[in-house]
Amino acid sequence: QPGRLAPISPLFVALVCLAFCSRLSRMKAASICTNSQTGCHFLSLANLFDRVIHHSARMHGISNDLHSEFELYFLPSKNRVSRNCHTSTILTPNGKENAQRIAREELTEVILKLLLAWRDPLWHFHQNMARHHKFNNLSSNKSLEMSEMVHELRKGVQKVAEKMQMLGIISNSLGTLGSREALLASDSPEWRLMNDYNLLYCFRRDSNKIQNYLKILKCRIVPEHGC
Amino acid sequence: MMRNVGGVIVLSLLLVFVQLAAGESFSPPGTPKNIICRSPEKETFTCWWEPGSDGGLPTTYALYYRKENSDTVYECPDYKTAGKNSCFFNKNDTSIWVTYNITVVATNALGRAFSDPVEIDVVYIVMPNPPEEVTVTVIEDTNWPFLRVSWEPPEKADTRSGWITLIYELRIKLENEDEWEVHPAGQQKVFNIFSLRPDSTYHVQVRCKPDHGFWSEWSGTTFVKVPDYFPRERSMWILIAVFAAFIILTFTFIWLSYMKIHNLKHYVLPPVPGPKIKGFDKKALKNGKFEDIFSSLVVSDFPPTTSNYEDFIVENLEVFVPEEQELIMEDSKDLQDDSIKSENSTCDNDSGRGSCDSHTLLIDKGGGDKEEALQSDQEGSQDERVPTSPEEVMEEDLLACCDEKNSPDISEKVKFTPSLISPLPRYNLMNQPNPPEIGKKHCLSDSLLNPDSLPSYFTQPPSTKNDFRSNPWECNFNHKQHPLHPQTTGKEHLQVQNEISWVHVDRTEASLGVQAPSVRSTEYVEVQRVSGGNMVLLHPVSAGQENSGTMSHQTEHYSRVKTVNNDSGLLLLQKESTGEEMGICLSEEEVESRATSNGYTASITPTSEKPMVGINSTLPILDDRMASGYVDTATMFGLPTY
Repeated sequence: QPGRLAPISPLFVALVCLAFCSRLSRMKAASICTNSQTGCHFLSLANLFDRVIHHSARMHGISNDLHSEFELYFLPSKNRVSRNCHTSTILTPNGKENAQRIAREELTEVILKLLLAWRDPLWHFHQNMARHHKFNNLSSNKSLEMSEMVHELRKGVQKVAEKMQMLGIISNSLGTLGSREALLASDSPEWRLMNDYNLLYCFRRDSNKIQNYLKILKCRIVPEHGC
Repeated sequence: MMRNVGGVIVLSLLLVFVQLAAGESFSPPGTPKNIICRSPEKETFTCWWEPGSDGGLPTTYALYYRKENSDTVYECPDYKTAGKNSCFFNKNDTSIWVTYNITVVATNALGRAFSDPVEIDVVYIVMPNPPEEVTVTVIEDTNWPFLRVSWEPPEKADTRSGWITLIYELRIKLENEDEWEVHPAGQQKVFNIFSLRPDSTYHVQVRCKPDHGFWSEWSGTTFVKVPDYFPRERSMWILIAVFAAFIILTFTFIWLSYMKIHNLKHYVLPPVPGPKIKGFDKKALKNGKFEDIFSSLVVSDFPPTTSNYEDFIVENLEVFVPEEQELIMEDSKDLQDDSIKSENSTCDNDSGRGSCDSHTLLIDKGGGDKEEALQSDQEGSQDERVPTSPEEVMEEDLLACCDEKNSPDISEKVKFTPSLISPLPRYNLMNQPNPPEIGKKHCLSDSLLNPDSLPSYFTQPPSTKNDFRSNPWECNFNHKQHPLHPQTTGKEHLQVQNEISWVHVDRTEASLGVQAPSVRSTEYVEVQRVSGGNMVLLHPVSAGQENSGTMSHQTEHYSRVKTVNNDSGLLLLQKESTGEEMGICLSEEEVESRATSNGYTASITPTSEKPMVGINSTLPILDDRMASGYVDTATMFGLPTY
């Protein structure tokens, strides 16, 4: 009888919510702590850096594969259009000395900008590939993975930045600066004009930059592990 | 001034003409090709090119490049540092993550040549220097030493700042070998190698590669000597001892079982001695040349003259208890010229073992002329051959003996149960050189038992060549008297060969069996004794002959073998009349009805296809036995006497 159920139902819903939410939070916490030794405690910065570096290496590998595949199947004309990558507005160090001279906060910011600038274009690229069946299934999966990785890597680097800020390694001026420029970059319609091949070429290079900058950052901040 | 200019012009023209006159042709330079650019540390890079033909004229090369998204053309800043036909870009001129568009131009007096442009990004052309400070040490803490290889990244490559990440690879080989063993080492700078060969020298090399780039060259070889070591593990010795003991035990067991089997074999299947018939060629037998074999047994001149008595040596054939492998044959060389000894006793000092008590074969040694009945046939074959006897002799005998047609087809053999001891069973089986002879039925009694007749199985000494039918035991015993008196004083024991189904009599008595076939007389066989086993001892009963000497008991009814039933009985006929020549000859019909396996019979008479009547028996065994001349007393059927 509905009469009896009525008082029970909100209680029931509340209980369910509680259980679910707690479980979610536990899961969230567990996902962070899976690699720690005992229990779930403080994750070291070096460990975080290793994770993001590994992640960026994987992302670059996928972009490299897609680029080679594109070059193989869709032979671009010799007369290449000037590769005007939409991220060329973001100033990046193009040498070792420049990369070492730049401040940690700036370097972190550059990484975050780049990652943000590629979020939308890669998503659209994947949609384009899937819709027009330009790639086979394997490649189409790779493009999807690539776009997801950009998204996740950005979050990872953000966490690293937060950690560094927490540890006092870098100042707190990071957040605002990065986001503004990044937004500008992503809003620019230039990336829509790029053809697929150029897009892949540009992203391959940018993912290499990201990986390299992260390594430099790590060896500057936590040099004791594998530098 | 004008003169100078004119002079220069004239000179250059002269030069050109001279060169033209010399036969050379000038042309613009060929295009430079294969532009390769490499960066050792991702901070500088060098490009090399291959010059084309110079066209016979001095040619200069220049490298021009453009950077990405810029139309400004720059020329190579440094042609010297990296050597000939190269261009070196220092740190200031190198930009990472920027595409360079490079072209090389060759110029000579007659023209220019542009190479194909090359686009490079320094990040992807990194080829580091080989790793440095490669050291290899032998660590001998444990019983098994191992190698520890360590190295440093090349000096120029900056791995400390994280600018370059290198992965390493090392390879190792023994000094004498050609094949390297490659070990990827990841990003580590230390590597351990185990499982070394003691007291040997190893070569070690290391190389590296950036995560996106080219492998470096292999480093210089580092030599390391592994000392001689021997692991002293007690457990290993224990293991060795256990294995050795196991192997020894296994071999002992095998040896023992082999020995036992061998002995058992002797107990169970006593080997049969071979025939010992002089003049019998065993090998020829195998070849199937029956004529030759039998011919060798035939006495050439029969009856022999008295003067030749010495030539006939009778051997005693004896059958032993299974241990004996062969018949003990005795060559009684003592020839008694004219005397025929009749032995009163069956036992003879000369007899071999078992002759007295053997139930299978008892041969009376007759004195007097003895022939070599058998020759010991150990292993070899009798090479002596006796020339074929006159065939007509045999023929007569056959005819006389048996009523049946002497057709070659008739080769019935009397079927008797097994165990006839005869050293010459094969003779019966052998093909007669002359079909008619073969066709003779094996008539029992008559010739067989004629003491005067030589048993067919008597072989001739090689010296004498008597006609001796190869089937002497066939019923065609010669009853012709010959100077050599038959001395069947003793009992003659019919030997019925089982398989062969013929009966032959083994007589040790002298009376040269030479002419046994030719003697034609009917003899009666008297059943002397029926042994418990399967043996029927028959002794001949001849009218008018005095066999009394050796006859022990003659109470039985004298009869002769009429027919032999299928493995069941020996049909003995009553003695109807003396002097009648009768033989126990199986009629053809009878014989055919008892045709047995052809395989064996076929071997018997290869030349003629006569249905051979044989008693079913295991052929292989019999063959063996017969081959050696030794037949075991198998089962013998009882003899129904009529």
